Amino acid sequence: MKKTIFLTVALLLMASFAYGQSSTTGTTSLTVNVAAAAALQVNTATTSLTQGGIFSDFTGTTSLTYWVRTTPSSGSGTIVLQVTSDFSPTGGPSVASPPAGDSLTYTCTLGGVGTACSGSQTALTTGTTNVATFGANARSAKAGDSASVSWTLTNDPQYPTGSYSATATFTISAT
Amino acid sequence: MRAEVVAVRRTARFAPLMALGALLLAPVCSPAQTVLGTQTLNLNLNGAGLIYAVPATTPLTNSGTVFSNYNGSISITYRARTTVTTGTGAITLQALSGDFTPTGGPALASGALKYTCSGATLGTNCSGTQTVSTASATNVVTLPAAVCTGGGSLCSTANPNTVTINFTLTNDPQYIAGTGYSVTLTFTISAT
Repeated sequence: MKKTIFLTVALLLMASFAYGQSSTTGTTSLTVNVAAAAALQVNTATTSLTQGGIFSDFTGTTSLTYWVRTTPSSGSGTIVLQVTSDFSPTGGPSVASPPAGDSLTYTCTLGGVGTACSGSQTALTTGTTNVATFGANARSAKAGDSASVSWTLTNDPQYPTGSYSATATFTISAT
Repeated sequence: MRAEVVAVRRTARFAPLMALGALLLAPVCSPAQTVLGTQTLNLNLNGAGLIYAVPATTPLTNSGTVFSNYNGSISITYRARTTVTTGTGAITLQALSGDFTPTGGPALASGALKYTCSGATLGTNCSGTQTVSTASATNVVTLPAAVCTGGGSLCSTANPNTVTINFTLTNDPQYIAGTGYSVTLTFTISAT
């Protein structure tokens, strides 16, 4: 009889261990790796270049919002632009082959982290030109930081009258 | 003489089989049992709950859009029993060991870590979106009166029970880039 009771207790104990470790509490460690990253949004889908007076240059502003996080110590980042589609139709203003002395230029303004491009930049179709640079450990606001590019296009009397358009592509990167 | 030797050898060959037969017949041949008396066993079952399995580590990752939130989910395993009529119980979650480390990254203090609950096989999932806190426990599962794990009827058919917790961590550009940010979350079960 005593043996039977002993065996029963032993079996019950073994059954409880068979379920593995249990407790009224349990813990887990949430882990996350935060990587360098960058994103931007062009708020002005179409930027109209207008003139202030007769034969004064055409001007306009493109608004951007950007998000950036660069790595401490070794990280960096940039915002660049390139005219990926020249003005069309042909015969008017041109970025790739402008009449002598004509150009599409821009200046940059940053409302947040980073350094805006220096002075007036000439836009190219053949490569990118600087809008902003970011150093190590650059971090924008969660809602993004603001930036703007102010364009100036020569108003050459040689341009036939008409409506012309070009496409500029902004690219942001971060390491 | 030769016949006797053969018989002895046959007997020896079948000896194990005969022994096994004897063992099987033994209970049948045991003496008849006599009822000496009866005994009433009383058992008081109190409300109780146990957590059996929580993953040691839960990675949070993001995919798709840059600066999209980090996500991760875990299932925890539990068993519970609550008292009829007056019983109640819960599984709760709290960052008892403090905020994310190292500092400079995500922080619970800013309400960056939230979760939803789904698929509880016993009790009710937490309501809506909960925010993980170091200061107070937040609900994962609510256990009503008169429920228990396993067996069907009033008890659940599932045994053990599980619930899935889906975490979402804000991906703020302000976080300093780095690896190995972590926070320890403690799940606690109670039942009466």
